[in-house]
Amino acid sequence: MNLERAISSPWRAAGQGLRESLSLVVGYAPIAFSFGVITVQSGLTPWQAVGISLLVFAGASQFVMVAMMAAGSGGLTVLSAVLMMNLRHLFYGPALATRLVVLPRRLAPWLAFGLTDEVFATAMAKGASRPLEPAWCLGLASGAYLAWVGGTALGASMGAGWANDGGYVAQALDFVLPALFLALLAQAWRRARWPVVAVAAGVTLLGMVWWPGHVAMLIGMLAGALVGSRRSRTRCSREAMT
Amino acid sequence: MTWWSIVIAAGAGTFLIRYLPLLSGTRLARSEGWLSRFLGALGLAAIAALIVLSMSDLWWQAPHWRGGLRLALGATAVLLVQRLTPNVGLATLVGASIYGAAGWALAE
Repeated sequence: MNLERAISSPWRAAGQGLRESLSLVVGYAPIAFSFGVITVQSGLTPWQAVGISLLVFAGASQFVMVAMMAAGSGGLTVLSAVLMMNLRHLFYGPALATRLVVLPRRLAPWLAFGLTDEVFATAMAKGASRPLEPAWCLGLASGAYLAWVGGTALGASMGAGWANDGGYVAQALDFVLPALFLALLAQAWRRARWPVVAVAAGVTLLGMVWWPGHVAMLIGMLAGALVGSRRSRTRCSREAMT
Repeated sequence: MTWWSIVIAAGAGTFLIRYLPLLSGTRLARSEGWLSRFLGALGLAAIAALIVLSMSDLWWQAPHWRGGLRLALGATAVLLVQRLTPNVGLATLVGASIYGAAGWALAE
């Protein structure tokens, strides 16, 4: 009985992760749809649009990639722009590893491939209350990946349609990702952590005056985490003194 | 570079940016030092930064009181639902619906 539970447990965790990816699916599908539409309008084939989503799976940097390719930029220029935009992901892996129960070597490549902003944010919000099962993370990332690739395929094959008509649905879809991040913040919120949130948000907002969004976000994220690490140390030393 | 080689290189580069730190992170996760505390705070900081980034995009699409009111209504709905039911998906859907409805109701 215990053996059976041990075997079925990763599958159950993966299934639960897949179910909990619903909010990511709702957020990703319209953006991926737009990506498919824009890519085909830029002169690429639907297969090329799907190929980019299948191989790169990196949201905003895919839009930049297609725009630069359509403008005739050189391969190395496109490549360096994409990698610079994704540099913030350097910090996601180590942060996620601190919340995982264990990281099996054979799952690590799959977990890393699916580690987008939204998957990371959802996992970290969940991980604030309990350690994460790697299979749960894999289920979550799989749902997001399927929605991203599926949305791209739909957009590339159907072209601009109902999601771009500016109606109620299109307007509601615009707010899905901000709403998701807000809900995740509320889930992971701890009163003592407010300086982390305030500094990260404030520095990002200020940074956007001088830098592109992805650079401002990286600097804001690092500034917030820096404050969090210093506060924790201060609290530890205070506790040690009392 | 051919088109497909750019795409494959971009995919491989993005993957390595995510994969290599994840492997080193398993060692860091066991440490108790400053870096461990830093990584522990990184998730919340990233979520806060992503909120600012995504909401500022919407604000600049309609930078007037109607746009601000829509954002405030949507955000309030998300936080209220999340407080009543700890269900991220439901809070997201309700918040997005309220934002969409507010856009329709406040249209000029």
